[in-house]
Amino acid sequence: MMKKIWGGGWRFLALLSTVLLGGCSSRDFWLFDAKGVISQTQVHYMVIDVVVMLVIIIPTALLIMWAMWRYRKSAGATYAPHWSHSNAIEAIVWGVPILTVAVLSYYSVEAIYQVNPYKPTVLARAEAAPAPRPLEIDVIATDWRWVFIYPAQHIMSVGRLVIPVDTPVKFRLTSTSVTNDFYIPQLVGMIDVMPGMRVKQALMASHVGTYEGFSADYSGAGFSWMNFQTDAVPSAQFQQWTKQAQQAPQHMDYAQFDLFAKPDISVSGKPEYFSDVEPGIFDHVVGEVMNGKVWPTPMGMTENMVKYLQKQRASQAQMQGEL
Amino acid sequence: MLVNLQGPWSPLLGRLAVSQIPYENPILVGTFVLVVALGMAILGAVTYYGKWGYLWREWLTTVDHKKIGIMYILVGLVMLLRGFVDAAMIRSQQAMAVGPDSAGYLGALHGYLTPFHFGQIYTAHGVIMILFAATPILVGIMNIIVPLQVGARDMAYPYLNAVGLWLTTAGAALVMTALFIGDFAHAGWFGNLPLNELPYSPGVGVDYWIWAFQLSSVGTTLGGINLIATIVKMRAPGMTWMRLPMFTWASLSANIISLTSFPVLTVSLALLSLDRYLGTHFYTAGMGGNLMLYNDLFWIWGHPEVYFVILPAFGMLSEIIPVFSEKTLFGYTGMVLASFGIAGVSWGVWLHHFFTMGSAPDVNAFYSVSTMLVGIPTGVKVFNWLFTMYRGRLRFELPMIWACAALFFLLVGGMTGMMNAFTTNDYMVHNSVFVVAHFHLMLLLIVYAIFGAVNFWFPKVFGFKLNERWGKWFFWLFTAGTATVFIPMFTLGFMGMTRRLDYIPYAQWQPLLDAEMAGIVLYSLSAVYLVAQLYVSLRDRALNRVGADAWGTSRSLEWATPSPVPFYNFAYIPHVNARDEWAWRKENGIAQLRHDRYEGIHMPKNTGVPLVLGALSLVLAFALVWRMWWLAALCLAGIVILVIMRSFAKDTDYIVSPEEVKRVEDALWAGTHARGTEAEGGRGRGAVGGGLSPAHSPSAPK
Repeated sequence: MMKKIWGGGWRFLALLSTVLLGGCSSRDFWLFDAKGVISQTQVHYMVIDVVVMLVIIIPTALLIMWAMWRYRKSAGATYAPHWSHSNAIEAIVWGVPILTVAVLSYYSVEAIYQVNPYKPTVLARAEAAPAPRPLEIDVIATDWRWVFIYPAQHIMSVGRLVIPVDTPVKFRLTSTSVTNDFYIPQLVGMIDVMPGMRVKQALMASHVGTYEGFSADYSGAGFSWMNFQTDAVPSAQFQQWTKQAQQAPQHMDYAQFDLFAKPDISVSGKPEYFSDVEPGIFDHVVGEVMNGKVWPTPMGMTENMVKYLQKQRASQAQMQGEL
Repeated sequence: MLVNLQGPWSPLLGRLAVSQIPYENPILVGTFVLVVALGMAILGAVTYYGKWGYLWREWLTTVDHKKIGIMYILVGLVMLLRGFVDAAMIRSQQAMAVGPDSAGYLGALHGYLTPFHFGQIYTAHGVIMILFAATPILVGIMNIIVPLQVGARDMAYPYLNAVGLWLTTAGAALVMTALFIGDFAHAGWFGNLPLNELPYSPGVGVDYWIWAFQLSSVGTTLGGINLIATIVKMRAPGMTWMRLPMFTWASLSANIISLTSFPVLTVSLALLSLDRYLGTHFYTAGMGGNLMLYNDLFWIWGHPEVYFVILPAFGMLSEIIPVFSEKTLFGYTGMVLASFGIAGVSWGVWLHHFFTMGSAPDVNAFYSVSTMLVGIPTGVKVFNWLFTMYRGRLRFELPMIWACAALFFLLVGGMTGMMNAFTTNDYMVHNSVFVVAHFHLMLLLIVYAIFGAVNFWFPKVFGFKLNERWGKWFFWLFTAGTATVFIPMFTLGFMGMTRRLDYIPYAQWQPLLDAEMAGIVLYSLSAVYLVAQLYVSLRDRALNRVGADAWGTSRSLEWATPSPVPFYNFAYIPHVNARDEWAWRKENGIAQLRHDRYEGIHMPKNTGVPLVLGALSLVLAFALVWRMWWLAALCLAGIVILVIMRSFAKDTDYIVSPEEVKRVEDALWAGTHARGTEAEGGRGRGAVGGGLSPAHSPSAPK
């Protein structure tokens, strides 16, 4: 009986692994398909970490399997019921993990400084270069949309991030209401975006392309729709996009932002652009939130999403009618 | 009202109103009907068979550590089922709600759960699995086994033990109440701040979450005090520190963690309730509050809590593997050091739960290294188990296959854990399903150790073994389910998928989400085999009765008691001669010695006070959730008065007469001899405890 179940179990597992890995192409593995300097550095260190660990884990797993097989009762191998201590083995069982942890700690600390969100050393040279100068972007997470303000360009883009390639991009991030995580898997790791606080992040795209970004930290009902498209474009194209956005008919100041930041689920995900953006909205938001400003979630807002969307559409139609 | 509540409030019912009953949701109504039907069936059966007296005398009012342990495990199993149903709903929603074209039902845009409902389900899943499934089951097993292993007749504080049980049960009941009255928190089991603050979670869900946590946290703290006192003060003569069985060492280290860390949880949640009830600003974003304060306080408890649940699991493996390797545990001293090493490091790693908060690289470097340090004692444990098997005679009976599988989970979990401890990796996967898969594997390690331990110690508690054939089917199906759910989940993590999505915007994740759903089907199927295993074992129990030494090669002191263990555990407090006392007695041929006379035994009396305290706490918590101040005040006063009255009670113990002890012992051992044990009887040179005929007991303690 035992043997039969073992055999069945292994066959099943083998079959399973082929089914599981068959359906995916390597392009879908965003974490390994790094397209920015920061993410490439992270992948580099992840490979080191995994290789070092595998050097320990694989032999240990094989040893356990060997011991399970070799010393099964029916095998009649050497039996030493009282053997329970050996200084040499104890030294090895403590020594191997200590050594592994020492090596990994060294690499981990080295990596932390290289991709430090506030001052990544891998971007130091690019940031010091006379051209292109780093692009500054202020990010505000509302309930539940991503707002990207380009202070130097006086434009604001909602739900779409456009950056030039091979240019360091420096972010300042805050939130109007609750904590979110800013995350673009192929370009940069996660950073918490917290209300009443300002954090920083930096990245540099090394390949032209469109990358998905989204919030990684649960922030309420609209969280799953908080994804944004990131376009890394050549410098000239970026200038062109900026000019275009500067022509957007809608403008933005803090009073309008106050209305804009009310809870809203961005189901359509359609980007919006604003020009003539009032300088200092980012700092204004941080200051207001520190002084106790909240944009509360109405009770039972999304207990029924279909009804919520009907209401949302109605109010949007009404607003357009008023305009 | 000091805070601005959305919705109505009345002095009599607080926020409670008919509209708070989710009668419009067919899922909840269906569940309610099922629960009511099941409850009626159980109550009806108890009444029909006239078992109310038995239930009250033998279970509800008991202070016997074994029965309390069994009830802890039952509560844990019921909640495990609820947590599993939640998991199945999370998985099915994610498999259904992929891409903008996926269909929506029951008011949801995609799938069948609205974001609000989905948030409650995964929050409940986490809270239930950690606090109301894993913790009670582990506490239950510690409750049963630790006093037996140290040679005690009960816990140090039997009454306190019952209070802990009923408080935990009240917490579990409160979580279940949230299903049918009002709603539950939606901000994750650890509570995202400031999402949990009143402006962003205006309903009663977060309040349910707070008070459920508080009840279980007080219960577990009391349990921790009790187990530490038992291990430190109640050890039998000769049970020196370095003779303690490994499971007891593991329990000691785990409960030191719980005693030091659970009060932090109590305080951090108390501050949150001040924010929500009195309008303070501890964790708000503005007015001087700081949400990171909550993260710090919560995880100062939260990470030690992880080791609070994993150390007993390690202890179980350290008991099971030597017995089925027919060999002494390798590196006992190293194992003890490793347990305390893990416990010690656990207080210094909490910040890795928010590596991504943007702290300085020096800070992240410190916590990255301290987290990796956990790998050292854990690695030592794996190697020691390996060398325990080396030159053994391995028998792959049920407890052993669970334990061996747990070793492989530890390897994969350890490997992925080291990946997460590496801070820059954490930046990539911090809130991704890769981390979710990692900690589920670690918790499954605990589950595997628990199933091993349940199969291992079941005959000690109930006197018969669990069925091997159905048990093995259950094991393989459960393992297949684990592989089918979590291999795709790791893969999805590398594909960039993050946690808690009620709608999946990217269609390329669909196949793997479907595979995970298939894993849930396997898990459900395996549950059928578990039930079958329990049923068949119970039906054929007469065929599977065992003696004291259920496995033939058992080693530690608990196996010196008859199976099932009598209510007083040991007719005489045993005298301990060696580290593996039972193995030592067998080797020296004194395992079969019986006492020829008995003395009276001092035992605690049953009491209904803990049950009433638990019930009052449940109503108190319910009143606080709904802000019915009069009811809360009434319950609180009741609790205080009851506790004071109980502390003056004098009639709390009694003496079991020697005749009664003799009757019980004769009956138990007669059965044992008839069935035979594998150990040889005969003369020995050590002492096994008082009351033996003089020739056999040179050093009987008085």
